[in-house]
Amino acid sequence: MLRLNNLVKHFGGVRAVDGVQIEVSKGEVLGLIGPNGSGKSTMVNLICGVFPQTAGSIELDNIDLGTKPPHERIDAGVSRTFQNIRLFDDLTVWQNLWVAWRDAPETEVSWLSDWFGSSTDRRVEIEKLLDFSGLGDRSNYKAKNLSFGEQRRLELARAMASKPKLIVLDEPAAGMNSEEVRDLRIRILTMKDLGMTVLLVEHVMELVMNVTDRIVVLNFGKKIAEGTPTEIQNNPLVQEAYFGFATNSGGSD
Amino acid sequence: MEYYLGVLQTIGIHALLGLSAYLLLLTGQLSLAQVGFFAIGSYVSGMLTVMVGWHIAPALMVGAIMAGFFAFLVGFPALRVKGLMLVVATIAFSEIVRLFFFNLNWRVQVDGLEVGPDSTQGFREIRYFAANGWEQSHVVVLIWSILALVMILLWWLDRVRAGAVLRAVGEDELAAQSSGVNLMMVKVAAMTAGGIIAGIAGGLFAHSSTYVDHHSFSILLATFAISYPILGGLRNVFGTLVAVIFIQGFIIEGLRFIGDYRNILFGLLIIAAMNFRPQGLVDGNFRSDLAKLLGLKPNGGSNDA
Amino acid sequence: MGFDHIDIIQSILDGVLFGSTYALIGLGFTLIFGAMQKLNMAYAAASIGGAYAGLASITILGLPALMAFVIGPVASGLLGLLVYVACFQYMPRGNHLAPLMASIGALFFIDEVIIHETAGSPLSFPAVLPQAYFFLGDFGIRGDLLFAMFISFLLMGAILFLLYRTKLGLATRAASQQPVASLLCGIPTRKTNATTFVLAGVLGGIAGCLVAASVGVLSPLLALPLTIKGLIVTVIGGLGSIRGAIIAGFMIGAFENLFLLIRGVNERDIYVFMLLFIFLVFRPNGLFGTAIDRD
Repeated sequence: MLRLNNLVKHFGGVRAVDGVQIEVSKGEVLGLIGPNGSGKSTMVNLICGVFPQTAGSIELDNIDLGTKPPHERIDAGVSRTFQNIRLFDDLTVWQNLWVAWRDAPETEVSWLSDWFGSSTDRRVEIEKLLDFSGLGDRSNYKAKNLSFGEQRRLELARAMASKPKLIVLDEPAAGMNSEEVRDLRIRILTMKDLGMTVLLVEHVMELVMNVTDRIVVLNFGKKIAEGTPTEIQNNPLVQEAYFGFATNSGGSD
Repeated sequence: MEYYLGVLQTIGIHALLGLSAYLLLLTGQLSLAQVGFFAIGSYVSGMLTVMVGWHIAPALMVGAIMAGFFAFLVGFPALRVKGLMLVVATIAFSEIVRLFFFNLNWRVQVDGLEVGPDSTQGFREIRYFAANGWEQSHVVVLIWSILALVMILLWWLDRVRAGAVLRAVGEDELAAQSSGVNLMMVKVAAMTAGGIIAGIAGGLFAHSSTYVDHHSFSILLATFAISYPILGGLRNVFGTLVAVIFIQGFIIEGLRFIGDYRNILFGLLIIAAMNFRPQGLVDGNFRSDLAKLLGLKPNGGSNDA
Repeated sequence: MGFDHIDIIQSILDGVLFGSTYALIGLGFTLIFGAMQKLNMAYAAASIGGAYAGLASITILGLPALMAFVIGPVASGLLGLLVYVACFQYMPRGNHLAPLMASIGALFFIDEVIIHETAGSPLSFPAVLPQAYFFLGDFGIRGDLLFAMFISFLLMGAILFLLYRTKLGLATRAASQQPVASLLCGIPTRKTNATTFVLAGVLGGIAGCLVAASVGVLSPLLALPLTIKGLIVTVIGGLGSIRGAIIAGFMIGAFENLFLLIRGVNERDIYVFMLLFIFLVFRPNGLFGTAIDRD
């Protein structure tokens, strides 16, 4: 589904991403972990088109994404959430979803109707997404007046609103308590059931180890390990990257 | 009576100008170019009625379209500059327009009289209304009808997806773009629409004052244009209208009796307003505020639709 | 209209000398923008206001002419502080429109007070070294403009010293880059910003007096064009760049005079603005822009 071909990104003299090759299969949940500064956020921004790569390419369903800006990547089927919540604060929950909304490709919606119309079908679908996100009764609340957990759920819902094939989650569990992390885990698994492919960039191991099918580990812009959660947990290279040393026994979180 | 009609005229035209800036502010673009579009609308529609003998309706429309066209052109380079730089770039645009018309000399003979823009002397004899039997009250009705139409359109805009998208761009460009919004299209469209509205206002202004010159199109007017939506708040169109009525109606005309002190008070009032209500006079709780004001409601609500 | 290369160089020379005042105004805008990422629209007006105060001190209080150049900057500094308190100090940090609007209100206020007190008519301002005129080969140099340039260089040097070699300057730069963090580090952000406004005000007051002295008159009509020129200089120099503002000031002065020679006073400004556009298109970060992406 997604292929990163020898992706390179330099910022001046800094090699944030240094020749990374990753393949994400359709329908899987791939975790992307690594210590701070390993290049995870840069990767997210590259995949989503925030800035162009220095070298290498990104292919979605075998189509090179080239230098498409973010809004065209949404057309291609990639959406994202942000590490620091970036909701439209003064808009309501409903409007936040509305802005990002894409109708299903089969439905023929005229330009006029898309921008200036009010279709009942669309309303029903948005309400469904709101209910799924536990925001059904918050539809008229301004995003800035939501609780932290609600805001995180709204970010997730907004990323889903464009009906993406691939959804990139940038540290969605940051600042969450255990219960919220459990809830997030269920949501991600539901997204997988709905047919989406998920790329999860995360630090919170409790989530990564329990929701991903495979994990890729980055350090200093390079891929240092790839495998199932269990394999990664026992990988000495990974341990060394995080702790500075490797242990003999395979640890649990 | 004539005096009050004149005040209504001014309020109507300034409200249109303010709304043109309001639309741009929604997308986060602080533009002082509105007065430039206003000038284009004035001169083009004026020249059409005076020099070519057109009827007011097509003249206003063509004036607005020309203004919109230049706004469209301005919209693209405007994408590349943000914040302060956009302010300065739009100031430069408006000044170039003003200076262009300041130097424009295009005189023709119509019915034995020489008419047309006369460079430093300005553009006189824009006498369409008088020559065609329009009373001042008719002009006021025309201005306010157009104003009402524009307000209804902008009010409705906020009820459909386009309005939410505009505001999203103003809130957070990166988030909007990452949610699939084509920033260029939205911002250029807003600039163009704003230009059209300013162009109509300009045409109405030229014909109702019968005389325009470069003094009419200074940066001062441009700052008034953005003052209205900022003071009134960006929640809805009424904020801008309220601000215009307050400034033009109350301060400038209503306080005429205190003479020059009016102008001094004006500046102080702006400073006070921004300190006490930085989000604008009319914010989201408009309906509850109005209800409170009219004594219909004990408390304001915490959420608004 | 025939003019030879001597006329051209002469006009550039005069322009560069006069441009030192633009450099000062641009510097003031830059200091404030650099410190708070906000635009103070009342800046040029406060500078002119100070010059008026300086003039009042000699016409009304009968002080010697030189005192205008002392009282003026002091008054501008005070006005700068007032503008800070009235328009910037109490504004919510993220809100950029409100302080901008408030400073526009301050601009109106200062302008109107001046008009009210002087009945709108221009007043003559003492000239500095009015008779001095030097010759450099085929070119003449006005002594008062040379003096203005000299003073401007002194001031720029002082500002650079202040910003880069003193604790106050360090605090100002820290507060501009990380307002919250510097507060937590014990830097009194408010006091630092207020000081910046005062310093910029003094700078502007000197610029205002120099402009008035070079032109010979003070008029409230000076405020708006000076504001616009100052903004252009700030943008062309690159937002937040002190070096840029200084160089751009001289550049604008030179070009302005050149355009005046070639196209006359009615069209001169059109070309200055076109110059601005060229910069915005090809070098949106200005001459030495620090790419501050906040707006």
